[in-house]
Amino acid sequence: MATLLLGMLSRLVAADGEVNYLTRVKPTLAARCYACHGGLKQEGGLRLDTVKQAIQGGDSGAAVVPGDLELSLLVRRVSSKEESTRMPPEGEPLKQEQIDAIKEWVLNDAKAPSDEEPERDPRDHWAFKTPVRPEIPTPVAPSPSVAEEDIASHSNPIDAFLSAEQHKHGLIPQPQADRRVWLRRVTLDLIGLPPTENELNEFVADLSPEAFERVVTRLLESPQYGERWGRHWMDIWRYSDWWGLGAEVRNSQKHIWHWRDWIIESLNDDKGYDQMLREMLASDELYPNDLKRQRASGFLARQYFKFNRTSWLDETIEHTSKAMLGMTFNCAKCHDHKYDPIAQTDYYRMRAIFEPYQVRTEFVQGEIDPERGGIPRVFDCNLDLETFVHVRGDDRNPDKSRVMEPAVPSFLEHATWKIEPVPLPPEAYQPGLRPQVIEGHLQAAQKKIDAANEALEKAKEDAKNGKLSVEQARLNLDAAQARLRVAEAHLRSVQGRASAAQAQFQIPKQENAAQLATEATKLERIEALAIAEESVAKIAFDLAKAPADKKGDLEKKLKTATAAIEPARQLIDSSSENFTPLPGAYKTLESNVETEDSRRRAFPTTSTGRRTAFANWLTDPKHPLPARVAVNHIWMRHMGRPIVPTLFDFGRKGTPPTHPELLDWLAVELIEYGWSMKHIHRLIVTSQAYRRSSSEAQANPSNLAKDPDNRFYWRANSIRMEAQTVRDSLLYLAGDLDMSQGGPSLPASDEKSRRRSLYFVHSHNEHQKFLSMFDDASVLDCYRRSTSIVPQQALALENSPLATAMGEKIATRIKQANPEVSDAEFVLAAFLSILSVEPSREELNLALDGLLRFKKVAEHENRADSLSHARTSLVHALLNHNDFVTIR
Amino acid sequence: MHRHSRNSASDPANIQRSQGIDSAGNISTMGLHRRGFFADVGMGFTGLALGAMFARDGILRADEHTEWTPPNGMPHFAPKAKNVVWLFMNGGVSHMESFDPKPELTKYAGKSINETPYQDVQNPDKLKLARVTVINDANGQQRNKLYPLQVGFQRYGNAGIELSNWIPHMGNCVDDMAIVRSMWTTDDNHGAQTQFHSGRHMLDGEFPTLGAWVHYGLGSINDNLPQFISMGNREYWNAKDGHYLGPAHDAIPIRVDPKNPLDFAKPANGLSTEEQQIGFDLVGGFNRLKGIEYPNDPALAARIKAYELAFRMQTSVPDTLDLNSETKATEELYGINDPATRDFGMQMLATRRFIERGVRFIQVQHGAGGAGAWDAHGGLKANHEKNFKAVDKPIAGLLKDLKQRGLLESTLVLFATEFGRTPGTQGSDGRDHHIFGFSVWMAGGGIQGGVVHGATDEIGFHAVEDRHYVTDIHATILHQLGLDSRRLEIPGRKRLDIDHGTPIHRIIS
Repeated sequence: MATLLLGMLSRLVAADGEVNYLTRVKPTLAARCYACHGGLKQEGGLRLDTVKQAIQGGDSGAAVVPGDLELSLLVRRVSSKEESTRMPPEGEPLKQEQIDAIKEWVLNDAKAPSDEEPERDPRDHWAFKTPVRPEIPTPVAPSPSVAEEDIASHSNPIDAFLSAEQHKHGLIPQPQADRRVWLRRVTLDLIGLPPTENELNEFVADLSPEAFERVVTRLLESPQYGERWGRHWMDIWRYSDWWGLGAEVRNSQKHIWHWRDWIIESLNDDKGYDQMLREMLASDELYPNDLKRQRASGFLARQYFKFNRTSWLDETIEHTSKAMLGMTFNCAKCHDHKYDPIAQTDYYRMRAIFEPYQVRTEFVQGEIDPERGGIPRVFDCNLDLETFVHVRGDDRNPDKSRVMEPAVPSFLEHATWKIEPVPLPPEAYQPGLRPQVIEGHLQAAQKKIDAANEALEKAKEDAKNGKLSVEQARLNLDAAQARLRVAEAHLRSVQGRASAAQAQFQIPKQENAAQLATEATKLERIEALAIAEESVAKIAFDLAKAPADKKGDLEKKLKTATAAIEPARQLIDSSSENFTPLPGAYKTLESNVETEDSRRRAFPTTSTGRRTAFANWLTDPKHPLPARVAVNHIWMRHMGRPIVPTLFDFGRKGTPPTHPELLDWLAVELIEYGWSMKHIHRLIVTSQAYRRSSSEAQANPSNLAKDPDNRFYWRANSIRMEAQTVRDSLLYLAGDLDMSQGGPSLPASDEKSRRRSLYFVHSHNEHQKFLSMFDDASVLDCYRRSTSIVPQQALALENSPLATAMGEKIATRIKQANPEVSDAEFVLAAFLSILSVEPSREELNLALDGLLRFKKVAEHENRADSLSHARTSLVHALLNHNDFVTIR
Repeated sequence: MHRHSRNSASDPANIQRSQGIDSAGNISTMGLHRRGFFADVGMGFTGLALGAMFARDGILRADEHTEWTPPNGMPHFAPKAKNVVWLFMNGGVSHMESFDPKPELTKYAGKSINETPYQDVQNPDKLKLARVTVINDANGQQRNKLYPLQVGFQRYGNAGIELSNWIPHMGNCVDDMAIVRSMWTTDDNHGAQTQFHSGRHMLDGEFPTLGAWVHYGLGSINDNLPQFISMGNREYWNAKDGHYLGPAHDAIPIRVDPKNPLDFAKPANGLSTEEQQIGFDLVGGFNRLKGIEYPNDPALAARIKAYELAFRMQTSVPDTLDLNSETKATEELYGINDPATRDFGMQMLATRRFIERGVRFIQVQHGAGGAGAWDAHGGLKANHEKNFKAVDKPIAGLLKDLKQRGLLESTLVLFATEFGRTPGTQGSDGRDHHIFGFSVWMAGGGIQGGVVHGATDEIGFHAVEDRHYVTDIHATILHQLGLDSRRLEIPGRKRLDIDHGTPIHRIIS
């Protein structure tokens, strides 16, 4: 058997053992063994990342003995038939050809390159080191033909970094795009709407050197910027309106749109990215009295999942780390991370940061019904809840022997990790103290009185109109009067409780607090008595009206209700300070098994400070990850491809940056300019790289051979519009777009709405039909939109009521702006208006031919105005042009 | 077997068609030929969507540092089937009252399980499978008092397989069916619907469904019709299929209504077909002209192709759904003249017409309302009697019709549901969700007929012989289609062994 094997293998032995190792052995070891026997971990004291170390071996001896299959533990363990001893312990066994390659290599003396380097310490991974501003390369003229661009390109470091790489790879960049193409590109890019005809004309005519800058300034200052870029960040932060079953919220929260509005406003104000992260993670601790900022915690409120707290926190951890850190913490839920130095315990330490938080709806101005309005925000609710490791990630099997303290992984040691509990101001744990809440209660109480008065008037009417017997009318009047007394008592109770609460929770406590509390309690009890009396009066009236067979039940009820009056009356006389403060927020059920009592527990007076510690650690200027992750997202949305292709994984499994120096330069720039995203936008869109033509025509042939995918930005990238931009552009060109901002989400089924698309309900269950055709964001995870090209998109743009109606309006606008023009002039106007370009001669001919054909058919079909009809059809065809949905 | 290659540049019919539409403007043809544009126009758009998806997920493209390439639309090995009909009964069908009759239930009716010889079924170790989503749910609980069979049963077919009397028509087709009586799943609530399609419990997240994998793995059979369609009620379980494969792999919802068969199927502005033809010609012409500036832009090429398919879909989908040309005998076969069977019968007949025209994967869901019409927590007898009446004849009609047309050999039909129902009673006359043992069947597409595979215990509680998780059904279907799910796997989206499942070789002929 052994001889046979040897004979077989000897035929396979390559002439060069080193090549064999590097191409056929090392990749297998790297993929299947290094996670436990390499730079990250050294299980059993063994490393396999260099042959030298493999020969040196670990606790069980040499893993590789050159030339000896029997003594080589590596060979024995990977080819073991016993599952208990076979390596690797997880996943499928190595394939036979992989094992054969290892054997062949061992038999051939296990040769290795002499300069083989061990895996670097995972802590030395590029993305785990604080970025340092790299030196800007000295620009090199890419070719004589673009020399005139050079002077400009020197001024923007982005171009210096890009052209250095282009030069290195012998790539000649494309010339600048037509000015109109640039204007359409930057306008859609920054505000998500196409340029108007005026804007086009103005820009084409403005030959001053500042023309480009001026446009960029105008767009960045436009309120539509916040909507456009808000939608991008809503993708990354998984914005979702609530969904569930019927009226039951199971995921996310009602009124979560407040968070959307906060995003838009923050971007328009150019709030620093670091500040945005701090507010999303810990505004309740950092700004406990600033409800506007607490809208930001919608990021955490959105993670709500009613049925499983572990799923809820798993998603919180996964997407906080993917979106803000560019790390895949989720891989460490069941076992230590296979690539990054994140232990399974680190996963649960991260969980401990979020463990105490829950969600509540804060009452807002004039609304004390949390179903109808309010701000969903988070707060630390369960301060003492312990976190345990779930063995193999199974939440049914927590390891209770060790409590996981909140912490971040130690490999990111740029800042100290310090948690300090946060004492909260009274309004934070007694939100009923907030003046607008008190006002809301008072208004509601006054409404009750008004309604009771109205009912009383009606009862008086009814007493006159003879529909009721005299006795019934009297009882009806009694009941209405009782109702009014309740309403009046309620108003006094609200007033009393508000004053008492203010006195009691003021720091220091007001002197008359005890007296006010006693009064408030009394007023509350008077209200309770009034309610008891009203109940009796109502039943008495019902009884008088009821048919004989129903009277029995009501009599019993009346007896019970009457019996309740005396105890209520007695309570009034017994003195107590135990009043109920006015409610000012309503906690969302922690789960489907939480009781109402538990839900109504008083809010804690302190917060753990864990999320503040996390937010401060995250936004420390020395933190290596968040700024890099953010500029990569921004860059991709402007330039059509990311610098780090793995947008949410900057770890060792991620793909390295195509332009590491540029990435770091941008990251440092972001941090040093107060984390201003507008600053980064401006830098990118005013670069020469951003101005280049996206066309490949006339490109240097060697560009296409050397870099067909445009990794080095020798041309601009064409970008498919996002779903929202397609719809918004249609409405805008038609003059139909309603530009009002913010507010509750519009029903996804509202076909009539002309608001911008980001205001539609966007959830896992509800999809706006037109938007979903164009790859609308998944609420579960959308670090980058898909850009599928499917026939349904063609049907939506050709046939949908929206596209056809907007097409007609757009055509009418062009016709009105260009009366009495020839077909050729109309074609020109239509191209400029819809695609922001002039047609080529071929395109013009094609369009004219199309117009003729449309006219002929229209005449044949006896349409009223065949010329106008044909022109509308041409406009409709241009809206279906590939370049309408493409940013060139 | 007829198969189209994705690279249809080599397909003369495609080039001809492209040129035909292009005749709107001669100039374009010249300009484009010079740059070899047509070679790209043939590129499948699913391929393009995939590329985008990769970029989104941060996965390298084939040309960057990796040997990975997206599927080329060809099977991995010789297939036995080329189409799939996936019939899904929403809500949970009682296995005991359909494909796995259990007379012991009647014998011990009213007894607690502990009073019967089968008390071991409630051994806690055996119940650990359940992965609870909703704690303290009113449903999905153990039901201990055995509930008698609500219908009789008899032997059917040459194989003499015992089936319930509620399914006489399907019973007559039993010689074409392989019944698997030993299914299990883990979600004791209706998340099991999604689980049956994707193989994953809902708490794990969202994953592509089997239809999406097939669509992703195999090329088109017919360029005029969508290749993955869905009919019927799908309100409870997730309405998307593609997930990380991208929305290009979602099923396209189809209604059996030639006037309104799919969203945006007809121009809302009342254009005539001729006017629309000119419009589509013009769009195609403009896009081809754009190819001069963008000779290597795959999106432009795919857009051209998408418009051509969209234009043809506008007529081919309603044509397929126009059932008027069918004979009286065929209508009778599917039960279209009986109000009780009409709706599902029309869907089954439409299914056959889609199969004839080469649609790859057709998903039909039955049972509207709540979590699905079959969810008989109470009144099981009336519920199942009515539902079986609605689907029995139409499904049998489909099987017989496919067979007589020689299509059953290449069409695999699956009948499935998310779980079975409890042997014990819920309330006075219902059965609760039951994940520990239930039945599905397959027919056609190289599946053996007249066989029963696997078994539950005497009271239908646990699958005890040849147990199969839902992904074994996936693996079986993929195997018949000539696909190896491991070769479809995408870098960075690690799948588990259990996601792949194992083909049930013993029912494959």
